[in-house]
Amino acid sequence: MKAKTKIDWGAYLFLVPALIIYLSVIILPICYSFFISLTKWNGIGDMNFVWLENYKTLFTKDPIFLTSLKNNLIWTALTICITMPVSLGFAVMLNNRFKGRTFFRGFFYFPCVIAPIAVSIIWRWIYNPNVGFINQFFKAIGSDFSQTWISDPQVSLYAIFFAALWAGVGQPMILFLAGLQTLPVEVLEAATIDGASGIKRFFSITVPLLKETFVIVLATLIIAALKVFDIVQGLTSGGPNNATQMLSTYMYSQTFKYSNVGTGTAISCVMVLVMLIVIVPYVIFTAKED
Amino acid sequence: MKKYIVVILALVMVLSFSTIAMAEAVEISFWTLNSRQDGVEPIVAAFNESQDEVKVTVSFFDTDGIKDACKIAASSNTLPNIWFNWGGSLGGFYADNGLTYNFNDYAAANNWDKKFSSSALSLCTFDGKLSGYPTSYNVLGVYYRKDIFEKYGIQVPTTFEEFEQVCATLKENGITPISTAGLYGWHVMRLVELLIEHYAGAEAHDSMNTFQTSYDNEAVIKALTKYQEFVEKGYLPDGFVTADPNDTNMAVFSGTAAMDIQGQWYDGTIVQNEQDMSKFGVFAFPSGGTNRMSAFAEMVEFNVNNTEAQIDAGLKFLDYYHSAENIEKYGAYYNLPLPVVDPVYPEGLPNVPIMIGLAEANGTFTITDQAFPTEIADALFNVQDAIANGEMQPAEGATKIQAAIEAYHSK
Repeated sequence: MKAKTKIDWGAYLFLVPALIIYLSVIILPICYSFFISLTKWNGIGDMNFVWLENYKTLFTKDPIFLTSLKNNLIWTALTICITMPVSLGFAVMLNNRFKGRTFFRGFFYFPCVIAPIAVSIIWRWIYNPNVGFINQFFKAIGSDFSQTWISDPQVSLYAIFFAALWAGVGQPMILFLAGLQTLPVEVLEAATIDGASGIKRFFSITVPLLKETFVIVLATLIIAALKVFDIVQGLTSGGPNNATQMLSTYMYSQTFKYSNVGTGTAISCVMVLVMLIVIVPYVIFTAKED
Repeated sequence: MKKYIVVILALVMVLSFSTIAMAEAVEISFWTLNSRQDGVEPIVAAFNESQDEVKVTVSFFDTDGIKDACKIAASSNTLPNIWFNWGGSLGGFYADNGLTYNFNDYAAANNWDKKFSSSALSLCTFDGKLSGYPTSYNVLGVYYRKDIFEKYGIQVPTTFEEFEQVCATLKENGITPISTAGLYGWHVMRLVELLIEHYAGAEAHDSMNTFQTSYDNEAVIKALTKYQEFVEKGYLPDGFVTADPNDTNMAVFSGTAAMDIQGQWYDGTIVQNEQDMSKFGVFAFPSGGTNRMSAFAEMVEFNVNNTEAQIDAGLKFLDYYHSAENIEKYGAYYNLPLPVVDPVYPEGLPNVPIMIGLAEANGTFTITDQAFPTEIADALFNVQDAIANGEMQPAEGATKIQAAIEAYHSK
């Protein structure tokens, strides 16, 4: 005889507060934002429903939006190819036992605690073509090399990225360091006894064992790269001539400077969509492997 | 027992009323610029201490921060009771959307036409509604280092050709002629709009800025070509495109640059930075014709949702803020002179009366970023950047500006 399963409806009541919060601060704002993106609205007056017109305009008639999208993708690629390996490299180095290890851990993590807008002010002075540290350094060593850095549209995006790298490498480094410290020492020792070289040990044992850390680091880095805002806004405000415009800075301009709230919200919806397109397959892929 | 209860209740009632009476101070939130913080803070503190009826809470923002903060607050209906703003398109946004108190009746009842200058009142009026309390009327000219001019035997230029010659002489002697910074676009715009005024003339320039004439014309192309030439000749600092406009004074104060297009408030900046005022002079940019100068107004806008008590409280505070006593004490933190009929010129700011006198004699035009909606102004700023970086030719720039105007109006 099949036992009758009794549903404890009372238990579900305990989920209600969390559900209300989740609905009111996540689901409803997302739905409302999507609705706004389908309108023409200045943020104050009446909303005019225009269906997908804002999206159509962005993708077909707005070169600044396409530049922003391209810049975000470049920034994401740079983050994956540079920020992640650099932070892993620092983590591996700082995982070794040596004198002053604690100092260096703090030293490399320290830029992370500086407010991004302060980072942008610091780097604006470092990049200043007339009195900035870099050009002055070249001058001091007798070199004629001089660069306008963030004012040069060919260089500005990479110059900002370098500033962001300086400020942001500490966070993934700490995550990698935490991951490295959980690795079973006996496995690494066994590999050493079996004659595996340092590089072989790193790629064949350390990296595979850090897979879960990689998932977290990569996901957070990609999300941060796609919504990068403050350091760009502080250093160039998206200029010169939109050379460093990002989806977030352009969304901000459309929404709060130009009062094109519908267009600005459409950009933010595209940002979310791009993030989902990049993150979801990656997470599904790694989950399947597990 | 009943008697005691009645007495206790009566006491509670009296105490409640007295608490209400004590708490009757009208609270006013005020947003303004952080460049004036050192003057505004002690004034607000003294005002709050001097009386019990009004309590002002002040918040500070930088030049571009206050524009963004007000836009965000407007869309969430959380504007403060009163806030600093500029005239023209910047302040006009709030008036056009019905977010500002209409002072027409109040001004008529209190003879504001006899109190404030007509030009300031006019720049604070949108669609026939006076939408703010005028706080300053600013004109822009060329501040220059007298000692540098003297050192190289340079005379103040009276024609555009002479101005170019001044730039050439300064550059030959290793001095950057014009200090400017393009991070937000508006500082470089001050030069570009004067070049447009030079090549287009007053009438055509006004007609373009009110969108009656296309920006895509020969005069604008010539102006942008001259701007390009100035950049190529090194008349503007290296990397100016993304430099912060708040830092342009450093080059002038240190003597590595000789000129900066600024308003009469620059005297206050010179004082605040403890520079030698005798080294600084001003002249109107020799754009031709009467050498008109660009001008703009500043005001304090009042939230349309204010109660009558809050409006009275805000006005009481502003009258105190602009009292002779405070101006004497904190003169460097105002854009003096006040925009009033027969203004009093402050001592220690010698270029202020010269600038105002020049503006009265030469005439003025509305500064471009107040004449243009922000979206069009940003298109102009992008053109400035692109030409400076060699990504765009002047003719394309003129076309781009006009395209932005048309796109804005077809929205």
